[in-house]
Amino acid sequence: MSDIIFHVFAFLTIGSSVAVVINHNAVNSALAFLVGLFGVAGLFVLLDSFLLAVLMILVYAGAVVALFLFIIMLLDMKGGERNAFSKPTAIAGLIGAALLAVCSTSLAKGFNLLPAADAASVIPVGATLRNYADQLFTVYLLPVQVVGFLLLIAMLGVIVLSKKFEGLEDVK
Amino acid sequence: MSSIGLFHYLMVATLMFSIGFVGVLIRKNTLVIYMCLELMLVASTIALVAFSRFNGTMDGNVFVFFILTVAAAEVAVGLAIIVALFRRRQTVQVDELNALKN
Amino acid sequence: MEPTQIALYTLLSPLVSAVVIALFFRRNGTIAATISVASAAVVAAGGLMLAYGGHRFEASMEWFRFYDFGMSLGFKFDDLAAVMIAIVGVVGFCVHLFSLGYMADDEAKARFFGGLSIFMFSMLGIVLADNLFMMFVFWELVGFSSYLLINHYCLKQSAAEASKKAFIVNRVGDFGFLIGILMCYGVYGTVNLSELAMATTGGALVATAIPLLLFCGALGKSAQMPLHIWLPDAMEGPTPVSALIHAATMVAAGIYMLCRIEMLMVADALQVIMWVGTVTALYAALCAVVQSDIKKVLAYSTLSQLGYMVAAFGLGAGQTNSGAMFSVGAAAAMFHLTTHAFFKALLFLGSGSVIHGCHHEQDMFKMGGLLKKMPLTAITMLIGVLAIGGLPFVTAGFFSKDAILHLAQVTNPAVFGILVFTAVLTTFYMVRMWKLTFLGSPRSDSASHAHEGGFMTMQLPLIILAVLSIFGGYTHGALGFVYGHSFDGVWSQIPHPESLVGVVIMSLAILGIGGGLAWVLYPSSDKDGLETQVPGAFAVLTLLKESFDKAYTYYVAKVQDRFAMLLNFIDQILIAGLIVRGLAGFVGLFGLGARALHVGSLHAYVYWFLLGIVMLWGFAGGLF
Repeated sequence: MSDIIFHVFAFLTIGSSVAVVINHNAVNSALAFLVGLFGVAGLFVLLDSFLLAVLMILVYAGAVVALFLFIIMLLDMKGGERNAFSKPTAIAGLIGAALLAVCSTSLAKGFNLLPAADAASVIPVGATLRNYADQLFTVYLLPVQVVGFLLLIAMLGVIVLSKKFEGLEDVK
Repeated sequence: MSSIGLFHYLMVATLMFSIGFVGVLIRKNTLVIYMCLELMLVASTIALVAFSRFNGTMDGNVFVFFILTVAAAEVAVGLAIIVALFRRRQTVQVDELNALKN
Repeated sequence: MEPTQIALYTLLSPLVSAVVIALFFRRNGTIAATISVASAAVVAAGGLMLAYGGHRFEASMEWFRFYDFGMSLGFKFDDLAAVMIAIVGVVGFCVHLFSLGYMADDEAKARFFGGLSIFMFSMLGIVLADNLFMMFVFWELVGFSSYLLINHYCLKQSAAEASKKAFIVNRVGDFGFLIGILMCYGVYGTVNLSELAMATTGGALVATAIPLLLFCGALGKSAQMPLHIWLPDAMEGPTPVSALIHAATMVAAGIYMLCRIEMLMVADALQVIMWVGTVTALYAALCAVVQSDIKKVLAYSTLSQLGYMVAAFGLGAGQTNSGAMFSVGAAAAMFHLTTHAFFKALLFLGSGSVIHGCHHEQDMFKMGGLLKKMPLTAITMLIGVLAIGGLPFVTAGFFSKDAILHLAQVTNPAVFGILVFTAVLTTFYMVRMWKLTFLGSPRSDSASHAHEGGFMTMQLPLIILAVLSIFGGYTHGALGFVYGHSFDGVWSQIPHPESLVGVVIMSLAILGIGGGLAWVLYPSSDKDGLETQVPGAFAVLTLLKESFDKAYTYYVAKVQDRFAMLLNFIDQILIAGLIVRGLAGFVGLFGLGARALHVGSLHAYVYWFLLGIVMLWGFAGGLF
């Protein structure tokens, strides 16, 4: 049963990724991204990381994609453009395929080193919130503080970047 | 018993990563490029959680936490930069943003 | 006041004068002249105080040290230095005084007097130096001052070329000098003169190369063959310069240096030195016979007398009487140097007076009849001529020349013969010069309007030097009041013949033959008497003079210039072009390549990122 669910969510994710890349309209791309995030959340649930699944939806889908959509609507005047099949596209496709091939082969080569395929035999430690709290506030305390600081800086940075600077001439 | 193993999850992650990568190389709209970058980031989170689950440790999960946070901050700042750029150059098409050329 | 302090002030006062003139009084010739003459007076007073006050000392101070090698500056003031400082002081002061009158209407007086002050400073440095490095430094400075002063009439092309020639020929000699000093340092580990004396006592063996190389310095500075060519051309400078530098003091520095290093001499080197001096004396005397410019005659005469001094040194430096500080040869050479300084400066200043009186006319064949117009100059120059000819007992030149001839007679008869012949020639051309200049009737307008210069500035120095030319020969006895007993360390070693009668007869014979021939051959006329009556001899002698210059010009044009062009090629094309600019261009290529990366396309940058990541991946995976 879980196999089928896995395949469903996997295809959902991959399909929406392809949609993000192919779509001419930027808004369509953003919405495809959103759908893909739901697929990822489903995969997380299958992996017994419930907190992360919910966080994905809340943070990524709720905040990041919303922000994206907001900016797209703010800036993108034209509807979309036709991506002609040109040489750069071909080369990019080639490189992407090469990357994929390399990753897959290295995965396949190292398959024996991967731990047991049986998910049920390993205790899912990520299932409870308590474990997260345990790690976050003891082992990973410093990164938590640093990330907090990072968020502060990001906020300040955004405020500074959004200001209008008077008297600077345009680079045309 | 499910026969879905670590390998499958990693394949999903790898595929998503490659697609995102190709998207960065192909698209001309800066915002869409940025979104493809986020795709790559999400792919890495899938891989991390998968590893963490099958090794029985918490480290991968916690790290995804941080990735999430950093991605959020990064998106905020990056979009602010794009907005500022749009104000200056009136365009977000990458092939028109070539003031550094020659 | 301490003797070292007196010496220091004496040394530094001309330097101060030169600096002050250079910085403040470039435009004001009168003040510059006054400052310079004042500093010359200080030098004369200081020098005489040190010499006659009986102060003999050595003092030194370390200048810098570089691991084992240290260079020090110091004074070595013994009898030899005392003699030299007295000469430099007195003659220098006379020349400075004379210049006040001679250069009165010159536009660049300040430059001239500044140059004279620099020269006095440098010469005193050589005189007082206690080690060879310090002497070399001041040696070069003296060469520089000579260059500066010869080129005083800098708008004349011939003056510029003469000064260049002087400096370059001097440089060639100094090259040998420097190598000699370095060898000396290498062999003995010291260049301090007193320490060298201690290192070589008891007949310790010295390599022949060292004294010969050091003699190269004297070759250049004292204008011995083959580096004599610069001295006649140096007459382009003003006459006081010729008197001070190229007659009395600078060219004598070579002789002084030889006397300073006599402890390093070996017999073979002395043979070479003796023959170089003799040949120079003869050659210069032969050339002087056919000169028509009054200053050129005196220049060749200086060359000849310097040859005498060098020959005397070569003859006698091997013989040192026991208990004496200086050898016989050194004493004879120094004695002749002293008397020569007096009468040659007198002759040059006298010729300066003549030239000034005839409004800068220098050709003897356009002068004449000046005995009536400029009597004081005529009489003092007559004294000078008799001194250089060696009139017995009355003039100083007799005693010094006689000492050298006696030394030659007992040591090397061949040299003696040549030197006697040269003495005849000397008298010949000197009397020729005097007769053409002063006797007969004026042969040109400028001569007929001649007049004496001012008494205080131009005639007084002549009188002082004339007196010294007469009384400067008596080194002891009742008439030896000039020197007192202050210089006995040197004067006691002068060789004296046992019987004076033979010497007197020989001197009178020399005077008679030479002077008589000159009197007969040169009636007062526009043409050179020798040229008209014995044209063959005249042509040969002129050719003799020209030959050296021609040989050098040929060498410079063919060998030197081509070598210089080759070096230029190496420098400009290979080093500057290929290596320096090539390297810079090579680096620039990298810059161009890096510039090509900036295409402004985001996608391109992403591709570069990818390349970087792949390489990192490869490193991590152990691929590279």
